[in-house]
Order: sequence, then structure tokens, then C-alpha cells
Amino acid sequence: MSTISTQLRTFKEPTKEQLTQLFFSIPPSITARSEKDGLERMEINAVLSLSAEAEEDSYAGKLYLIPPFLSFASLDRKSCRFTLPLCTIRRVERLNARAGIYALSLSLWHGMKIVVQLTSLRPTADLFCSMLRDALKAELQHGQMKAVRNFVKTCYSETLVLSTSPAAEEELEEKTPQEGQEGSPSNDTPYHVGLGLKFKFPGDPKKLREASKVKLWTTYLKTHGRNLTLLRYPQCTRLVQVGLPNRLRGEMWEVLSGSLFLRFSNPGLYEQILEDNKGRTSTSTEDIEKDLHRSLPEYSAYQSEEGISALRRVLQAYSFQNPELGYCQAMNILAAALLIYMSEEQAFWLLEVICDRLLPGYYSTSMHGTLLDQRVFESLVQKCLPIIHDYFQEVDVQLSVASLPWFLSLFINSMPMVFACRIIDCFFCMGPKVLFQVGLAILKINGEELLKIQDDGGFIQLMRSYFASLGNSAHPKSPDPRARAITRFQELLLVSFREFAIITDDTIHNERRKFRSEIVFSIESFSKRAAVRNLKSLERFTKEQAGFIYDALYRAMCVVPPPAPVMTPVPSLISDGNEEKPETRIGLRTFRVFLSEVATWARDEKVIINGFQQRVDREVAEHEFIDRLFYFWDVSCKGALSFQDLVSGLDGVMFNDLMENIEWFFNLHDKNKDGYLTKDEVLTLSESLLFIFRFEIGDAYLGAVSRFMTNAFEYGDALLPQPEEKGEEDDAPLPDIGHNQPYLNLATFRMVVLADEILESFFETDLSACFKLEPVPMMDLPSSNNGFLGDLISNIATDDNKKLFNRFTDRIGQTIGKHQVIHRPAIGRYTKLDEPKARESLLTPSMRQSPSTSPTSATDAAVRVPSPSSVSTSNLSAAEASKISPLSMVKNANDALMERPQFAIDDALDDDGDTDDEFGLGEDDGVMDEVDAFLEAHDSGLTEEQRELAKDLLNAKPVK
Amino acid sequence: MAESGSGAADKSVQVKLVLLGEAAVGKSSIVLRFVSNEFQANKEPTIGAAFLTQKCRLEDRVLRYEIWDTAGQERFHSLAPMYYRNAQAAVVVYDVTKASSLEKAKSWVKELQRQANPNIVIALAGNKLDLVQPSSSSSGATSMPESEDEADDATATPGEAAAPGEQPESLRQVPRDEAEAYAKEAGLLFFETSAKTGEGVVEIFTEIAKKIPIEHILASSRGTGRPGAAGRSGAAQEGGVSLEENGAKGKDACNC
Repeated sequence: MSTISTQLRTFKEPTKEQLTQLFFSIPPSITARSEKDGLERMEINAVLSLSAEAEEDSYAGKLYLIPPFLSFASLDRKSCRFTLPLCTIRRVERLNARAGIYALSLSLWHGMKIVVQLTSLRPTADLFCSMLRDALKAELQHGQMKAVRNFVKTCYSETLVLSTSPAAEEELEEKTPQEGQEGSPSNDTPYHVGLGLKFKFPGDPKKLREASKVKLWTTYLKTHGRNLTLLRYPQCTRLVQVGLPNRLRGEMWEVLSGSLFLRFSNPGLYEQILEDNKGRTSTSTEDIEKDLHRSLPEYSAYQSEEGISALRRVLQAYSFQNPELGYCQAMNILAAALLIYMSEEQAFWLLEVICDRLLPGYYSTSMHGTLLDQRVFESLVQKCLPIIHDYFQEVDVQLSVASLPWFLSLFINSMPMVFACRIIDCFFCMGPKVLFQVGLAILKINGEELLKIQDDGGFIQLMRSYFASLGNSAHPKSPDPRARAITRFQELLLVSFREFAIITDDTIHNERRKFRSEIVFSIESFSKRAAVRNLKSLERFTKEQAGFIYDALYRAMCVVPPPAPVMTPVPSLISDGNEEKPETRIGLRTFRVFLSEVATWARDEKVIINGFQQRVDREVAEHEFIDRLFYFWDVSCKGALSFQDLVSGLDGVMFNDLMENIEWFFNLHDKNKDGYLTKDEVLTLSESLLFIFRFEIGDAYLGAVSRFMTNAFEYGDALLPQPEEKGEEDDAPLPDIGHNQPYLNLATFRMVVLADEILESFFETDLSACFKLEPVPMMDLPSSNNGFLGDLISNIATDDNKKLFNRFTDRIGQTIGKHQVIHRPAIGRYTKLDEPKARESLLTPSMRQSPSTSPTSATDAAVRVPSPSSVSTSNLSAAEASKISPLSMVKNANDALMERPQFAIDDALDDDGDTDDEFGLGEDDGVMDEVDAFLEAHDSGLTEEQRELAKDLLNAKPVK
Repeated sequence: MAESGSGAADKSVQVKLVLLGEAAVGKSSIVLRFVSNEFQANKEPTIGAAFLTQKCRLEDRVLRYEIWDTAGQERFHSLAPMYYRNAQAAVVVYDVTKASSLEKAKSWVKELQRQANPNIVIALAGNKLDLVQPSSSSSGATSMPESEDEADDATATPGEAAAPGEQPESLRQVPRDEAEAYAKEAGLLFFETSAKTGEGVVEIFTEIAKKIPIEHILASSRGTGRPGAAGRSGAAQEGGVSLEENGAKGKDACNC
């Protein structure tokens, strides 16, 4: 496992707005465009009625303007709903009805007329209307209205509805079964078709009662709109539950899942993606090739090149579109099933909706969505079927061994195709909760048998034989022929939707939230273990230490995410499958953060005391020295470091003794590795030392570095080969040695270092000791807290707010004179200002006096670096105090608290007040939910009078 | 003792075995060869893991292998522990024509040795041997590594047949010696196999059967009904018991 992903940490709970959008299957990519145009969203209470022809009840609910869509959901969120692209609205009229009634009549593309009565206060309704007008105008400007005409032609429903005179209906009934033998049904059909039309649909059309289903749907689609304008009344859901007719199935999947909108708003993109990536290969395309021939291999289309290449194109296009996810086994099976019923383009967009929205994270590289939902499923089993759950625990059977493929391939791989398709029908219509409901029902129906199994294998086998028997009668021995006619599959659906109706979208949402951090944690620790295990070499570290290095790396990656791992190009010689795996490598910016975690001098730590709190502000240091280290460790010259590079790099410095450290430091600065430092490099080296020592207390280190420079240049000059002994030593000194010429070798460097006690001790222990491998406090996971309060806390305790609070307390601290900032030293050997004596120079006084210009520039360098003691305005004695006794800090804080002026308290209270406000708001929400629930419990929420009114409105004349 | 005989049920020992290895090295093909002695398109795409069973006779004993054939794709890696927990045996497969697959196999071995049942019997199998044997090329079968084991079936893309003049041995990227030396060092059983010709496949399972401390599984599976736990406590005390002893003890255990 050579890639490290921090993606799981970036997860954010969806907002209420996003949840609404999710509910209406509106793709975020489409609304984003309207948001750019500055179109806003709004929701309003409304009563929906449909023109008399359709004979539908009126429903009270909410109308949502989510440009470029208009959506409606009845109060119970399931009886009645629609999602209409604004461009399908041909006409909007304000109705002239009784006083005090505010109603709009909308004429839709397919000729239906719906009336929405806005039941909110008048100004609200006015606002809604004007916003609707703006949004409609914008759509008109984008030319979307024109696009509708051509688009609907690609939908089978158009042909179906238009061609069904009674005579045509009969013909259809006759023809359907033979469709398969007719060969290619002329490729010039205006509408999209799947492979099934040519290669037959699974199942017996007679048995599936295709003809009568088609009839029912035709009637429904005529009066309730179709494709872009489908209005979903209870009848629609019922029809879906008895199974979609094969020829309409593809389109209905698109419509119900909302992928139709993606296809509508991205015309030609699918072909474009394929064209742009022609001939490109990747890990994903390789994986896809391997699986093409084992995706529903029993279906005839996938034994022919036609089917295989369609499958290949769809999967490849998706992997190009979403390279981060790429391709995951099981997607092949999914895509293969989709392609039976829909065209490549349709399947492509539906795949997008599935991977992105319906089964989020299922197929990602960490498969966190899969793992999470398996955990959720287990928890639901524990709640709903405790006996089975307990028994499984007792015999140590893992639910996931069977249920994982159910979820991952939407039962396609588990059940006969005809049944799986019907579950998928419901899945697209009612959402992901269906998978959980069906899963629970399977366990419940097999409850008795399940309590006899002994191990995972027995579980799998029981499930297998159950799935094989789905077509059998559920009550074979019943005397009632009608009961006998009920298949086990029908029983399954019945149990799923009756007994497990308690499983709602909210249930799933809440359960996911509950277990997300647990799953993320286990994935992360798993990949950490794997990463450490897969290191080519641990060097001299223990596994635990390598784990700390990993933690630091991980944390750094969270702060500064590195670019996505790239494939290293394959060397042509060993091109045969010997490619390197993509590997996570970090760039310089991430490296700085990493180093700041492990090396004390690579961070600027300020201890801040402001009377309220004592905190340590840590910032990542930037210095040429750190960059130098980065390239020094980049042994493979990739401009980026892998985990292994970091481990090996740290190994090179953390276990060194005095001599090794001196050599290491020397090599680090010897850029061309010729064994000599140039004069410039000596200066750089000195600057590196000054950087490391920048926060040390006292002048000792500064002195040491300046002595080092003096000695280095004196010694270097003295030891130079002197062929050009023309002038005397007091001549212009050594003009021949350029700044880039070899100047100081290791032996000399070593001698100069050893001449100084401070440097000696630095190289002996401190340099290595500056690298500290400690448990890195891991950042909190987003929303690891449960429930409402947890939300609140995570809302408040964001980094930004913390910073705000810190700034606030700092300001108060400053006003009350308690504000102190102390830089924490990297080494901290000296806590007092006394300066140790320098060792005698190795050189004789006469040599020492030899004039040299270079040292001057060196001292310049030293001067440029501010002396450590003057860096901050901090009070050094306080620093000592804080080191020695943290208790005194507490005392300080307490003192400050007592002295605190009144306004500070007020402000603090204000802070609390905000909290309460938010709390209150949330509670209101809760109340509203209850009201909703109450209303739901009391029918559609319409009084007889309102119903009358709604009927009246249908016949009302428009104003002007 | 006939497998179908009534006595067989008594004496059949259940052994959980898991197959691991990089994608497309031929795990599923090995299982298929062992279970149904076929080589063909994969009827069961591996999602998570495919589950198959097969009986295997050893002396007077019948072993019932419960085989978990795991998905090879890297992202399924984190699911693997679910399948190898409680396993008494593992076959780690690599592809002799692909050096990187041995590296992956080694990392699986490491993981198993650390995380799995401590007494797990691990076999290392270098598959696709037919690709590097001169005899196989004469059969005229398609021999492209890609179209081999995993993808090979009736619909294999035409035109993918190996160039006839190609030296088979040149496809080999993992020398037998090297892999064998590694296996010895890591304490693994070692085989080179061809799921296509069947060479070496059954041997894997019989050798594993010999090495598994059957009587412990038998004894404790009667007690607890949990063969996994049994294996763990079982061989901890006596490591390499010889097969004869095994058989004898097992028999005694049965008769009492």
C-alpha cells in the first residue's frame, strides 16, 4: 500500500440545503452554474393540484426553487413529488381566484397543467414569484428551453406515448416477445436503447407481464408527464414496485435517479471524454480489461464484442471522468447490468450518480462507504433482529461476508437478474435505504435457518440457496391458490417495505454519522500498519517509531495536501506489467510541515500568555536549510519524498554520534559532493546553524557561530595550497579562490567544529536530539461527535473560531498588560543568559591576525540574522518561569482573571449568548419536525374546504 | 472410505482456506481447477470473495476445504482480514511472468504471519507456469499474459495469440530458485502451478492437508464448533507432527 490518503478527513456533513437537493436528485454540478448567476433558492408552503384529466388528489407540501429546478414534495415526503427543470415550464400564470388566494398555474412541456397554491404570507409568495421569474429568464437566456425539444426525442417514453393508439398497443403486445429475434432494431431509433433490445432482456416477458405493465405506464406517462417532466404521484411508486417494463426500464432509472438531468445538461460530454482520452491507459484501464469478460458472462451480449466494447467504453469513460476513484471491481457488474437496459451514455451518467450520490464512497480507493454501510447494516440488524445478531456473535459469523456483495453490486451478483432488477427499480425510486430494507428482510425471512448455521461458509450457502429459490412459491402448501401464487421474491419485497418501513433516509443518515469516525479510524490505522509493514527498510527505527513518522507525515498531508499520486513512467525495458504502483510523495510545502512535526528547530513556537490562557502557537518555519534537507533526502531525484525517503532520511541523522553528525552536516552542505565546501557553502552552513539556533536563549550560540566562521576562514585560508606565493600574507588575501571553488574539506571542518565547546555538544547530542518522534496528537475527525450537541460543538470549535478567540484574548491580555510572547528554543540547553567561554583557538595568535576579507562578509551574515535575544519582545525571565513551574502560569492567569475589567466579562457572556441562540434555533427545528410528523399522521393535511378550493383553482381563469 | 459414505461425514474435517494475491495472477482459476477441474471463463466474478467448497481425500480422512477466493484489486485489501480470520490455510499466489506480483505476495505473507491465525499454513504458488514452459506453446493456445488465466475464455479477443517464435522462458520474470529460497526462508510451502494445464494445483491442496494439524481441528470442532479457534490452540503445542501420527491419533479420537 504505497498511497496515503487524507481524503477521509475532508468529509463534511451535508447541510440541510444539500440534503434537500439530494432528496430531489438534483446534481450539484448543475445548480452550481445557477449559483454563479446569483440565483438564489427559496422554499415555500404550497398545495399542488394536477389538471382534472389525471384525477389526482391535491397535496399540501413544500415548493422549492432550486435554480434551475423547481421541486415539490408533499408533507410526508413520499406520496407526491416532482423535480422539474425550469426549462420545461412553458408558461406561468397567476390565477384569478377568490380573494386571499395566491395561486400559480404552470404549463409544462408535455402539456400538463399544474396548479400550485402558495399558502405562505403574501409578501413571501410575491418574493417567490419574482425569484421564479428571474430564474426562468436566466434559463431562457441560456437557451435551455430550445434544448428540451431535441432532448426528449432521445427518450423512449416519447415514442411510446405518441405511438399508442389502441391499435398500436395491441401490436406492441404481440411484438414484444419476439423483439429479440428481429436482429438489430434499426440503429436509427431516435431514442436510446440498451443491449437488451438486441440480445433479449432477462426473464420471460409473458411471465413478467410486460405488455400490461407497458399499458399502465403509457397511461400514467400521458397524464403525469414523462422523462424531464415526470410528476411522481403514489401510482408511480406503486408501478415501480411491481417492476418496470424492460423497454422503459433504462429511461425510468435515469429519471428516478436524476441522472437524466446530467445527460440533459452535458450533451455530447460522454463522447468527448472518450475522444479526448483515446488510447490512454492507466491502472484503471488495465483493471477494467481484466474484468470485462467476467461481468455477467452468462448474458449473451457479453459473449460478443459488441457488448464487451460497450462495457469497456462506459467503464473507461467513467475512470477518466473521475480518476481519483478510477475503477473498482463490482462497477463492472453494475455497468453490465445497466447496459442491458440503457445506452452507453445513459449508463455513464447513471454510474456517475450511483458512485457519487447513491452509494457514496462505495467504490473509492479506501472503500470507506462500503465499510461504513456494512457497519450501519450490522447496527440495524442488531436493532431490528437482535436474536439473529446475538446468534451471529455467538458463533462468530460475520454478516459482511454475505452482505457486502449485496450492497456493492446491488444484489445483481447474488440474485437472478430479474429479481435484482426489481430491487434496483425500487432503489432508484426510493433511495439507498431500500438496500438496507431488503437486506433486513432477507435475514428476517430466513431467521429460523440462520439460527442453525455454524460458520461463515454455512451462512453463504444458506443465502445462496435462498436466492436460488426466489422464484418459488412462498407458501407452497397453502390451500389458497392465491397465497400459493405469491413468490418468495414478492414476499421479500412485502417484508422489506412493510416491516422495515421504519428504516428511513434519516435512519441511514444518522447511523452513518454515528459510525463514520469509527470507520475512518479503522481504515487509517489499517493503512498505517500496512504502510509501516511495507517499508522496504525500517532502517534503525522500531515499528512504533516508524508509526510516529507516519503520523507526522499524515498530519502534514492533512495540512498541506500533496498532489495526487502519479504513476511513474514505465521503463520500456521491463514494460511487461512491471510498472511501479502509484506512490504518495510529498512536495516541499508538505515536507516543511512534516519536518516541523519532528524537528524542534523546524517550527516557530511561541508561548503566549495573555492572562486568560497560556497557549503555544506553532508555525511552520521556512528556511533555505529545510529546503536543502528536502533535496538531500530526495535520493531518487523525483522532487518529492516518499514515506520511505523520510524514514531513511531521518535514519541518517537520528542515530549519529559526534563524528557522524559532523560529517552529515558537512555533506548536507556540500552540494556537488566533491568533499569540499566552497566559501559560499561555508557561509550557507553558518546561516543554517544560525537558523537552528535562532531562538536559543543567550548569546552563546551566536558567539559560537561567529567563532566558527572566523576559525573556518582562518583555517581554510591557512591550509590552502599555496603555489601562488607571490605576495606576502598581508597582501590582498587569496584572490584566486573564488566563492565557488573547493575550499574546506571535512577534516578541516571537523577540526573547526571541535574547537568550539558549544558546537561540539551540538553535534554530539543536540542535533540528533532535535528530532523527536512522539505520538502526534491526531486532529479531531470532522463531526466525530454524535447528535445535535456534537454538531453544535463542532460548529463552534472550528479552527477559525479558535483563532478568533485567541486573538480576542490576546487583545484583552494586551490591554491588561499580561500579554507575553516567548519563543520556545529548539535546543534549550541554556536557560540563562550566561555565556560559556570559548575554547582557545587552535591557531596561533599570529595566524589569527592574518587579515582576511572573507570573515568580514561572514560577520555581515551574522549581523543580518537578528540576535536571538532580540527577536521577540518577550520577557525572558518569564520564559524561565514558565519552564520551571507551570503552576505560576495558572496563578498568573488567575490573577488576571481577578483584575479583569468588566467589559471583558460582558463580552465573554455575549459569546455564550451566541451559543444559546444557535441552540435555540436547532430546537425550533426539532419542534418543526414534530409538527411535520403530526401533520403526516393526520392525512395529507388538507381540509375538505381546501380541497374544494384546489378543485376550483383548476378551473380558474388566468388573470389577463 | 467413500466420500459419499455415511462414515465420511463423521470424519470429514472442515478446513478454511483463503486465497490471496495480486489481481489477475489466477487465484480464481486455481480454485476452479481444483474444485471442478475446469479451466474457463470465470462464472463467478469475485466481489469481496467468492466462496467454494471441495472435498479432498487424504489417507483415510476426508478434508472439506472451504475456500475463500478473495478479490485481488488493491482497494479490496482492507476487506481481506474479514476473510482470512480463522483461516487454517492460505494460498498466496503470484504470477511467474510478473515480478511485481511476487512482491505483493511477500507483503501478503508478512501480513498473514502478523495478523492471521498464528498457526496458519501458508503456501506460495507461482502460477501461469504454462506460459514459461516450452510444451505449452506447442499446444497453440493463446499465451499472452494478459489474456491468460483471468480473462481467457471463449471470447478471448482474436489476434492476441502469442507470437509463435517467442521463447517461452523469456516471459519468466520470477526465477524458480529465487521464489523457492524465499519460501523456504519464510517457512512456506512452495509450488509452481498452471491453472490452465492443471499442473501442480492439486498438489497445493494435498500438501496443505498433510501439514494441517487435523486432529486438533477435529477434536475442538466437536467441542466448540469453531474450527478457527481450534486451529489456534491446537498446533501451538506440537508443531511439525508427521502425517502418520496425525492419522493415527485422529483415528483414535474418532473411535472413542
